[in-house]
Amino acid sequence: MATSALPTGQRPNVPTAAVKFPAIKSYEQVDADIAGTLGPSLGWFAALGIAILCMLIGAAAWTYQIHEGLGAAGYQPPVMWGVYIVTFVFWVGIGHAGTLISAILYLFRAGFRTSIYRVSEAMTVFAVMTAGLFPILHLGRPWKFFYLIPYPNWRLIWPNPKSPLVWDVFAILTYLTISSTFLYIGLIPDIAILRDREKNPIRKSILAQLSLGWRNSDREWRHFTRAYLFLAAFATPLVLSVHSVVSFDFAMALTPGWHATIFPPYFVAGAIFSGIGMVFTIALPLRKAFKLEHYITLNDIDAAAKLCLFTSTVVGLAYLTEFQVAWMSGNRFEQDYFWNRVFGQWAWAAWIMLICNCVLPLSLWSQNLRRNPVWLFILSLFINLGMWFERFVIVVPSLAHEFEPWQWGTYRPTFVDYSILLGSFGWFFMWFLLFIKQLPVMAMSEIKEILLPRMSTQFNHSHDLPEGIDFPDETGKVH
Amino acid sequence: MQGVLGAFRELDSAVHAIEDLKKDRVGDITVFTPTPRHEFDHVMGHPASKVRVYTLIFGLAGVTFGYWIPVWISDYWPLVVGGKPIASWVPFTILGFEVMVLIGGLATVFAMFGFAGIPRLTTTVGYDPRFSGGHFGVWVEADPDRVDDAMNILKKHGAEEVRRER
Repeated sequence: MATSALPTGQRPNVPTAAVKFPAIKSYEQVDADIAGTLGPSLGWFAALGIAILCMLIGAAAWTYQIHEGLGAAGYQPPVMWGVYIVTFVFWVGIGHAGTLISAILYLFRAGFRTSIYRVSEAMTVFAVMTAGLFPILHLGRPWKFFYLIPYPNWRLIWPNPKSPLVWDVFAILTYLTISSTFLYIGLIPDIAILRDREKNPIRKSILAQLSLGWRNSDREWRHFTRAYLFLAAFATPLVLSVHSVVSFDFAMALTPGWHATIFPPYFVAGAIFSGIGMVFTIALPLRKAFKLEHYITLNDIDAAAKLCLFTSTVVGLAYLTEFQVAWMSGNRFEQDYFWNRVFGQWAWAAWIMLICNCVLPLSLWSQNLRRNPVWLFILSLFINLGMWFERFVIVVPSLAHEFEPWQWGTYRPTFVDYSILLGSFGWFFMWFLLFIKQLPVMAMSEIKEILLPRMSTQFNHSHDLPEGIDFPDETGKVH
Repeated sequence: MQGVLGAFRELDSAVHAIEDLKKDRVGDITVFTPTPRHEFDHVMGHPASKVRVYTLIFGLAGVTFGYWIPVWISDYWPLVVGGKPIASWVPFTILGFEVMVLIGGLATVFAMFGFAGIPRLTTTVGYDPRFSGGHFGVWVEADPDRVDDAMNILKKHGAEEVRRER
């Protein structure tokens, strides 16, 4: 950790591809360090136990809801969308940072992604899996969930492909499939490393099958790197499209507070912001627990914090723009709604949102705080809270305060809503905790790509360079 | 399949060995490397991967299919919504895009599998577990009368281990 030891003024400010791992000396060290994180510990069992307990609380609440009906969940006219849709959008948003970090930052050659992208990708897949539960949880008869799948059928159900809810099905399923594929493809070379180190024959056999017989040959790498690039190129617009489509669920309605053209970019920025918040919540404790400080360096954290600050300002601008649009529109309903949001019935929720998402992240203008993992972790918890409340503020106040006073109402979540919310976190963290002890939390082969390869001691760069082949020198520079 | 396998600790030694093996035309060469290195791309001189062709073809097929699905559904239930045409291409573009990404992305992966020759049942011949760790490997598929030449070249360039395999 050379960087943390430097005085503030001398710290490098490197959010670029020029990423170095000065404390990592060899390819073998990477394998040993990362594979060494896979052994289960007491703390891990405790965390898994808590996650499963939370999930069981959610499952029990869902069982109760199925028995009692959806009324048990606190829905009453006019607010028929509440915690479930809020949490659905929250988890879809969390799922955005993973593919952003793994695909978009890959295309932009942002080197700081290398140490955190595997964690982010896994987070994406599990977050989208969690989000996908909520449309089913919201059903009175969840065993008829297949009615949701839009295709011409004999059940006299009209699948309307002009409806954003149908677009949602396509967008979320595509996103889940492509994100899972992206995660798995990136894992193949690393699973091969684990396979080659494994002594247990049963585990070795499983890893051999999962690695698809990968041998690290030039032929495999040549096609792998191109396929990874094209998959990243496909995943990039997909990231932007998915949350745009989720925003259409709201923006296509005429409800005050929802019917705005700013929604797609506003939702995408919010999703990336919340996802980075969750990356900090997950990656910073992992960094400490797995002793990976020399892999997830302060420079990496600094660069990710800048991305967090940037998306926070975009989100803040979107909030202000919403108010400005309502003010300039001359539309009484919009103006009344936004006044009610900030100074009326829902002021408490709106101010939690504004303070957590716009005010507290301003601390990241300070380089000292950007490089302070403890502060970033605390801030990330506030960001998670703030982004959940952002979705609450979008969904609930609009439905509770539509056009006519007789339509106005309120919403009080019950213990069923809270338990299922808790259960969703249990479900997410259960999968994540299982993942981190079965598969590497960092892309070992990609970290090796950044390291300098071993060169022969007799090799003289000035005389022996074969024609047309550029080797890196001892500083990593290619001549 | 028989040949010679050389394990190198240093990148440049492996590259030089490959150069000499290619000059001597000993046999087909496969390189094993723990991480992709452009030096091997240069010395091996293989053409760029054709995975992109499949990405393009199946991406186009996907967008076509993605537009067709809602048109087919709308034709089944020809109800006018918001005064829009039954087959309304603007909202259907979302489905077209999503299906393009889905099919194009999966086709890219399967094309990679096909070109790279995976899944493979065994890694034994011409492979060593060290090649996923920190060593670079050079496998030369050589006729029995050229095996000694191949071994000599690999040893000359400082291979840590050279062995015959079949």
